[in-house]
Amino acid sequence: MSSDKALYKAQLLDHFKKPRNKVSGDLLHMDIIRRGSIPRCGDDIELGFAITNMRIERIEFRGRGCSVCIASASMMTEATKGQNIEDVNALTKHMKAWIAGEIEEIPSGLEALDAVRHHPVRKKCLMLSWEALADGLQEHMQNAEQSPHAK
Amino acid sequence: MLSEKPLPMPVGEKTSEAQVALQSGATTLDPYKVKAHFPIFANNVLSKNLSYLDNAATSQKPNTVISAMNRALTQFNSPVHRGFYPLAEHSSDYYEQARERLRSFIGASSARSCVFTSGATESINHVAQGFLLPRLKPGQAVWVTRMEHHANFLPWQAVCEQAGAHLHIIELNEDGELALDKYPELFGDNTAMIALTHTSNVLGVVNNVEAICRQAQQNNIPVLLDAAQAMTSHKIDVSALACDFLVFSAHKMFGPNGIGLLYISDKRIAQMQPTKLGGGMVEFTGDSMAQTSFAEAPHCFEAGSPNLASAIGFAAACDFVCALEQDKIKQHIEALALTFHHALSNNPHLKHSIRVVSPIKHAASGIISFYHEVIHAHDLAQIMGDANVAVRAGHHCAQPLLRHLNVSSTLRISLSAYNTEADIQAAIRALERAHEIFS
Repeated sequence: MSSDKALYKAQLLDHFKKPRNKVSGDLLHMDIIRRGSIPRCGDDIELGFAITNMRIERIEFRGRGCSVCIASASMMTEATKGQNIEDVNALTKHMKAWIAGEIEEIPSGLEALDAVRHHPVRKKCLMLSWEALADGLQEHMQNAEQSPHAK
Repeated sequence: MLSEKPLPMPVGEKTSEAQVALQSGATTLDPYKVKAHFPIFANNVLSKNLSYLDNAATSQKPNTVISAMNRALTQFNSPVHRGFYPLAEHSSDYYEQARERLRSFIGASSARSCVFTSGATESINHVAQGFLLPRLKPGQAVWVTRMEHHANFLPWQAVCEQAGAHLHIIELNEDGELALDKYPELFGDNTAMIALTHTSNVLGVVNNVEAICRQAQQNNIPVLLDAAQAMTSHKIDVSALACDFLVFSAHKMFGPNGIGLLYISDKRIAQMQPTKLGGGMVEFTGDSMAQTSFAEAPHCFEAGSPNLASAIGFAAACDFVCALEQDKIKQHIEALALTFHHALSNNPHLKHSIRVVSPIKHAASGIISFYHEVIHAHDLAQIMGDANVAVRAGHHCAQPLLRHLNVSSTLRISLSAYNTEADIQAAIRALERAHEIFS
């Protein structure tokens, strides 16, 4: 398999072996907590984030999964921490469009995940944390509409 | 009536030819000779050098099966049991010959007992809905085992809930075998049905189905055996076993997808109701169900146009299995499975990190499931796939069992007659490669 199609790139393996923002206990003091699971393969994660002044102040996850699932979640937390939620929302949409094949380029900084598009059965593993983030953001935005003075 | 010049026989004719080519009087199988009968291993870049170790999911197809189906489609395709012209009479005749081949393959006393279905899953659903549900009473017990495939679990769970009955699970002992001694009530008066697998698709454990059938018969308890994983390596004789129902699929025994068999013992035929209604299964269709009468078995259980080419391929698969001889297949896959077990346990990089869940005692099933303490089964399977080794990773449609094992997924190697020692070595090398990548 050519190197651009190789799944197990060093950066992906690094995030799997040393996942960033991954905790083993409960997700504490979060505004939104979302769970994502794929019973078929056993991937099961929980994602939590806290928002201050329209920015993701803290974001953490916990759970278990394959290297693609864990590395993707780890890279996602790095890419979104401290970012404006409008930008994060745009990023999740970009990822969804990329995985669906509607956009060729993967968002900058996430190139280590690019080879997953050549492995269709792993796409769900990659998107598990991103789907949880997108759902969580939607929930936050709905809450904000109902309570306009919320943070 | 057949014409004076019958068309070439689609079934049975290749048996002696295959026997000569495959066995030549040898006491053991030569997997390379067997492999030469499977065109997929020579056909394309994806399969040419493939170590295909995913046989419990589906087997590859030999030339004899492919050519039998090809002849069915090119020489006598026509409606079965519906035409009055010579071609249709031929197809009807050959379809029933295929049924007869299946009858002799499993030792049934009558072809009435042999129902073609779409596969083992449909066969089990048919028994659950058409036999058990109409007679199941609230509070009665239906027994399955912890090692069942979802196909032999969910249909019983559903009918129990529909009828207010209780689904009981025979748990496993520490050897991974059925802990039958813990359940004295299993053969009691309250048991309405026992459904169990002959060979576990995850553990490879072969159950003592003879003893279970014998005790069940003494207590007049119907038993269904799921033999989907057993047919290539066990000579199953339903008359000797005295089981009530036996189910299996053609595609796991070198035959085509989309067809399987439901064996119904003579005693249970009259107690079974059709669950699929439609063409070909009625004797008379009235303006109300009260006026409608069904055809005789097995036709009353085969609504819709019969699957002629697949039935003929199924029969050719029986010929192929018999030509190889089930005992020799079993001996061959057991030797390979033991080679794999030993290679794992002697490998310095793998022996401390890989946990085998299949008992070595049951190596003759050719099914070995295991997991790595660090590397997810999907990563292992991907790396093995990149190395041209085809295996299965996941829960294998046996989530109740994986809960018991306390793992979310395992990797499974499943062997067949065409696998070689080189395939085993390729699998071990790929596992070593995974260790290197993730260490």
